Amino acid sequence: MIELIKVSKQFRQVLAVDNLSLKVNQGEIYGFLGPNGAGKTTTIRMIAGTLKPTTGQIRIDGRDLEKEPIAAKRVLGIIPDRPFLYEKLTGHEFLRFMAGLYGVSNQDFEERAIELFELFELGDWRHELIESYSHGMKQRLIMSSAMLHRPKVLVVDEPLVGLDPRGGRLIKNIFRQLKQNGVSILMSTHTLSLAAEVCDRIGIIFHGRLLTEGTAESLLAQAKGSTQLEDAFLMLTGGQQEQALARFLDIGRS
Amino acid sequence: MKTYLLLLSPRFWSLVHRIRGGEEGSTGKLFFMAGVALLFWGGIFYGFYKALEYFKEAEGFGLVLAHKLMGMVWLTFFVILVFSNVITSLSSFFLSKDLDLLHASPTSLENIFWARFTNTLVDSSWMVVFFGMPVYLVYGLVFHAGPLYYLSLVGVAVPLLVLAGALGVSATQILVNIFPARRTKDILLLLSILLIILLYLLFRLMQPERLVNPDAFTTVVGYFASMRAPSSPYLPSYWATAVLWPQLNDQGLSDALFYLAMLASTALAAAMLASILSNRLNRPGFNRSQEAARRIIKRASPLDALAFLAGWPFASPSRALIAKDIKAFFRDNTQWSQILLLLALIVVYLYNFSVLPLKKSPIPTFYLQNFISFLNIGLASFVVASLGVRFVFPAVSQEGFSYWIIRSSPLSLKRFLWTKYWIYLPPLLVVAEVLIVVSNYLLDVTPLMMVVSSVTIFFLVLGIVALGVGLGAVYPRFETENIVQVATGFGGLMFMILSAIYVGLVVILEAWPVYTLFVHQLFGRALPSWKLPLIAACFVAVAAVHVTAVVLPMRVGLRRLGDREAH
Repeated sequence: MIELIKVSKQFRQVLAVDNLSLKVNQGEIYGFLGPNGAGKTTTIRMIAGTLKPTTGQIRIDGRDLEKEPIAAKRVLGIIPDRPFLYEKLTGHEFLRFMAGLYGVSNQDFEERAIELFELFELGDWRHELIESYSHGMKQRLIMSSAMLHRPKVLVVDEPLVGLDPRGGRLIKNIFRQLKQNGVSILMSTHTLSLAAEVCDRIGIIFHGRLLTEGTAESLLAQAKGSTQLEDAFLMLTGGQQEQALARFLDIGRS
Repeated sequence: MKTYLLLLSPRFWSLVHRIRGGEEGSTGKLFFMAGVALLFWGGIFYGFYKALEYFKEAEGFGLVLAHKLMGMVWLTFFVILVFSNVITSLSSFFLSKDLDLLHASPTSLENIFWARFTNTLVDSSWMVVFFGMPVYLVYGLVFHAGPLYYLSLVGVAVPLLVLAGALGVSATQILVNIFPARRTKDILLLLSILLIILLYLLFRLMQPERLVNPDAFTTVVGYFASMRAPSSPYLPSYWATAVLWPQLNDQGLSDALFYLAMLASTALAAAMLASILSNRLNRPGFNRSQEAARRIIKRASPLDALAFLAGWPFASPSRALIAKDIKAFFRDNTQWSQILLLLALIVVYLYNFSVLPLKKSPIPTFYLQNFISFLNIGLASFVVASLGVRFVFPAVSQEGFSYWIIRSSPLSLKRFLWTKYWIYLPPLLVVAEVLIVVSNYLLDVTPLMMVVSSVTIFFLVLGIVALGVGLGAVYPRFETENIVQVATGFGGLMFMILSAIYVGLVVILEAWPVYTLFVHQLFGRALPSWKLPLIAACFVAVAAVHVTAVVLPMRVGLRRLGDREAH
């Protein structure tokens, strides 16, 4: 499970995350929603260990990320929104590299690699250099690598970016399967239908603060009059944007 | 014109932002780099001033030599500029990331061409102009030229730069239509490296040191006779010299004006032709440059065997990192091709020792051989440091945008840095020991000197590699697209300075004890007992310097990398 306790992150003059506390329980899928610049990716990068919180504590599977980074990261799988990989390795070599970093045994690796390449439909490309992969293929390769070591906690930034509808369906099914296996998933997304469909709980972050959290139904109840998560989201994060959008579209219609 | 300026504006604003609001301490770094550049500038100025003064005073062939030299320098600059423009225009016209946006916008191809042409020209020429300037200023000073000379200099330089740019850009437009852009880049890179190696080897094998040998004087006379022959009048370097030389010797303007007109009109025509060529060839070339190369990699290749062998003594995470680094290195043409340069460097280095005229020296040969062998420790270490700045220093930056994988993985930064250290240590140790042992063999030194120099270089390499990895972690450049550029920044310069200090310190500390031991052994005398503790103290101090050189940079690098946040 993931636990954030009063976590803040300051970048020079900007307070990107402000005293954020949240908890993702074992076997739970937590949707992390918020407008652009709300602090979602910063939070995810802090959980991944690529950014240090200015204050506060992050616990992964009960381990303090600051005090026991190696043990905490060993059970963590990260899927970032931008697929930066080692372009001069083949897909198979990249997975082998990740297996080495996460201490997956050789025998286990060979079995897992075959399964994952098949699952993510990369089998034909596994011995080609990553530099020739498309964006979506790189994204699928990152997903394979994040699941290679059977993580207890999975953190995903924008899971549907670069994926075709078939890939999108696949990822939803995988998340559900992982949840059944007891994996905790924190997922940031702008795709509200995805959040409504697969998340057990949803948290809405705005200006670095957690505005509210709960099930999709409870969020709809909070935003009175909303029948869809999109309406609730816009109302909770400042409905005036919607009106501005309508005005803008009117200008464009000539 | 408005669109042209608009297209140039992103570069301008990026430059302004870089100067204005960089990282902390970037202003200090900028001043430091500017200081070093000025020092080089001053060095070129001083060297040329001395050479030209000497030429001017030399009766008979001095003026011929100065005239010829001017033409040769123009020709050299011109060739460098054309080549540099070819390479730069590949990126600016075909590989740059913003090209998709530009080509999708309602901007004419012509406007894009002129904006990119300007960018290419500035990027390729500023360094040649900056470091070439002292050469021509010196000509003016030594020959007491009037203001017309300096005015002509600008008049010559501008069309020459434009001409080189137009030729370079045109060549690229044609090349990209024959080969895909990425392949062209690799081919050009390899060709340029082979060209440098060829010139380097040719120059060295010509034995220029023979010119100071009176026995070879007949060759020198023949050489100058050949120099009197005029060079081709079709070369722009000839026109440039024909404009400037008369201004230095009060020979009037009539010919100069003709050649100036030649230069200006040719440059203008070449630029217009380049624009027409671009209109025709840019689109198809750009389309070809978007093709992704599919490269299927065989399993169980020699690279796999090498990676397995190199990683064999290490634990699983280090093994994974070693295999990744070795494969990425040998699959990147910009990386492995530089090994060819390294081989040429070793060949010439050892060749120098084989042709040393030791027997002609008034100092006893035996003494001199051992003295040179000792100095050779410093020289070989400097060669290792030069390799270090190119290969070891960028080791951390090499992770690039994929550095997030390392930071989010359970691999500790300490293990990450030390694995990098162990990757680069063995090859540099082999190079250093080959340089020392073979050169000592060629010098026929005593066993004592052989042992002292090979042991000293062994420990020096341990320190130099640590300095490279450590400082590479202090000054990482994960954002760079071209890993070769990492070595040219502030951190690379700091690495070279600190390496020089380190090597100098070790050589100075060892000089007295080694000399004492050598002399006593040579004359078969027993070492006085009071000297022993002093000699021991010197070696303890050397050991302390080595330990500091290994531990300190790695620690500082680790701390700074830990504080740094990944993308």
